[in-house]
Amino acid sequence: MALGFTLAVFGGALAVVLGGIGSAIGVGLAGQASSGVMSEDPEKFGSLLLLVALPGTQGIYGFLSAFLVMLKLGLVGEALKSLTIYQGWQVLIACLPVAFAGLVSGIHQGKVCASGVYMVAKQPKDLMKPVIMAALVETYAVLGLLITILLLNGIKL
Amino acid sequence: MAIAEVLKVQILAHACVKMEVLSSIQEEGLIQIEKADFEELELQSSSTEVTELEHRLHRLSHVLDYLSRWEGKGFVKKLFTQKPQVERQKRNEVLKFDFIAVLDKIEKLEDEHNELLSEIKFLEKEEEFLYPIKSLSLPIKSLRPTDSTEILLGSLPISSYEDFQEISKKESLWFEVIDQDKRSLYLMLIYPKREKDHFEKTLKELNFSPLFFTEPILSRAEKQDGVKEVIKKIDVDIEEKRKRLEDLEKKGQSLFVYQQKLMVVYDVLLNERDKISSFSFLGETERVFFMEGWIRSSDTKKLKSKLQPYSEVTEIYLREPILEEDPPVILKNPKASRPFEVVTKLYGLPQRGSFDPTLPMAPFFFIFVGLCISEAGYGLLITLVSLFFIKFAKPKGSLLQFLKLLCLLGISTVIFGALIGGWFGFPIRKLMVLDPLQDPLSFLGIALALGFFQVWFGTLLNMINGIKNKLYLQSIFVQGGWLLLLPSLVLYAVIKRPIWGILSLSAAAGIVFFASPSRNPFARFFGGLYSLYDISRYLADVLSYSRLLALGLATTVIAMVVNTLCQTALAIPWVGWLLAALIFIGGHLFNLGISLLGGFVHSMRLQFVEFFSKFFKSGGKPFKPFELESKFVEFI
Repeated sequence: MALGFTLAVFGGALAVVLGGIGSAIGVGLAGQASSGVMSEDPEKFGSLLLLVALPGTQGIYGFLSAFLVMLKLGLVGEALKSLTIYQGWQVLIACLPVAFAGLVSGIHQGKVCASGVYMVAKQPKDLMKPVIMAALVETYAVLGLLITILLLNGIKL
Repeated sequence: MAIAEVLKVQILAHACVKMEVLSSIQEEGLIQIEKADFEELELQSSSTEVTELEHRLHRLSHVLDYLSRWEGKGFVKKLFTQKPQVERQKRNEVLKFDFIAVLDKIEKLEDEHNELLSEIKFLEKEEEFLYPIKSLSLPIKSLRPTDSTEILLGSLPISSYEDFQEISKKESLWFEVIDQDKRSLYLMLIYPKREKDHFEKTLKELNFSPLFFTEPILSRAEKQDGVKEVIKKIDVDIEEKRKRLEDLEKKGQSLFVYQQKLMVVYDVLLNERDKISSFSFLGETERVFFMEGWIRSSDTKKLKSKLQPYSEVTEIYLREPILEEDPPVILKNPKASRPFEVVTKLYGLPQRGSFDPTLPMAPFFFIFVGLCISEAGYGLLITLVSLFFIKFAKPKGSLLQFLKLLCLLGISTVIFGALIGGWFGFPIRKLMVLDPLQDPLSFLGIALALGFFQVWFGTLLNMINGIKNKLYLQSIFVQGGWLLLLPSLVLYAVIKRPIWGILSLSAAAGIVFFASPSRNPFARFFGGLYSLYDISRYLADVLSYSRLLALGLATTVIAMVVNTLCQTALAIPWVGWLLAALIFIGGHLFNLGISLLGGFVHSMRLQFVEFFSKFFKSGGKPFKPFELESKFVEFI
């Protein structure tokens, strides 16, 4: 019984940790690039901030999924649920899409944003174009989140 | 559809009214001037005048930059201050004011200011140099080499002090330690002149660095003045210069009154320069000049009445663009969908033969952003903030359109937030038609249905556009085939009536036989068969709309998380309510920020990648009329 519960908690933690790593690396990459650009042109702070913040969503999706797991397990508010080992595995596996899609897409979105930062340095008017490019990468994190939510919703405890 | 008609305009006029005609055109901003290409006509350049104006503009912008020091600071204040207004017709009156004299005055002031600053800096450096040896009480003037001895001041790293002592013991070197700090000793040395080369070399090996009094120090040192006295004198000088600096500052502040006038001068001269640069687009002979460009067909009357005073010496010709020409594009939309032009322009303007997709796109974009954010409280906030800005900051042009768009999207968010979301994380059950947290599959179904409809609608638009461009077979059988095939396949899968199966098969047949342009029957058949594979693309496009569910849920859940954290914080004694309030405000603002960004960007992507790709070809050039530009003021 306790093992099932532990596995489920582990799943939630994985979602936060992997999504967070992806976002941290992604935001880091874009942030470095934007500091470089700002050293020449400090006025661009506002528009660059948008691009730097963009790879941050994967971490939020992970956080959100973990919160759903906590709700499911009754860690927030209500009484704790008891899970079988199979149910624990189910919750853990349900967390994997958002965790791994977030990890990899966060890093790559960061790369796209970093090159977008260079583009904005030369073409300040075209800010939204790299943002859209970055959103193309983010699609897969969104899909991961979607499946995680649907799976969590489907698992009966 | 929704692109304004643009005509080619050609104006032929006598050279004596050249300036007046160009000024009138610039004032109204109706025409985009194109380069006149007539070999017979001489294209003249007027570079000296332009350089002259550019030089003045440069001086003005420099002076304005300097004057902005006395401007009141504060970001918020700047946001809400409006540009001073100047009447178009009377704009040149400002040039009567002798701005060159004012420029000279301010520039002189600035030069003085900079000079004083650099003098102060220089003196401070000198002082810094004197500090380590300030305990040297001998008069500076007396530290002179004699006929047979050399005298030297300098610093020595502490690490080489022992070696140095050795040398001084053995050889004819006298020294005194003046002072010392963590790393070095400050010394005064005396040695015989005849061994100068030898000592210099040894000292260099010990990393001794000599100090020499500079001219400003020597000039300040009177007979018995030691280092301390000189430092005092320098201090007095710096103080005096600082005072002068303050006076200058006051003087500058009194010149600040000219700022507005100079701003107007700047903008007026800027437009003069543009006008003169535009000469290079004109064709000219000795007595006549010729210009051509593009004009909105609805503006032609305005142009004619504006040029009425010169009608005796000007002639205006208008004609439709010919096939080889690529006229600039002006989007024309009803008031409600005009803010959505922002989205279209981001993707690109329609090329010739395509049409403006703003109107068909607008309702989808409106709904999608609402679904993605789906939080009525946030929607209310977005609407109110954007209305507030429109009311008080009075933005113009594209910023105004963007704010209007935000306002509309806020309204959409309120509607969908009330229906499927909550108000700052608290759902009002009575208003809700569906709770996506309880029943995500229904919401997913709605999202996919919306997507299906938009993709289908995009294909329909493609068919209509194809028929307009006389591609009948292709449009009716292939696009029409898809239009029939997609819904009947879905219906067959759901209801399983044979009629839908038959319809889908016949639609597929149309696609197979007409999708490939080849004349070879085999190539045509297999090429058509291959294009049926596009169905996977349609499928992927529709599935892509599932992001509406994910983004909508994300907003709702994060809002809930914020409220849960607030409840936890409330349990803390004494400061609980404060913490809870901070978490509530900060958390919801954060969520608003990321969900607005996400909702905006992902809805846009759905338009660009899934919808526009079906029917829209961009590549048009924007219409850039020759008009009054302004940087600091607003021409009315």
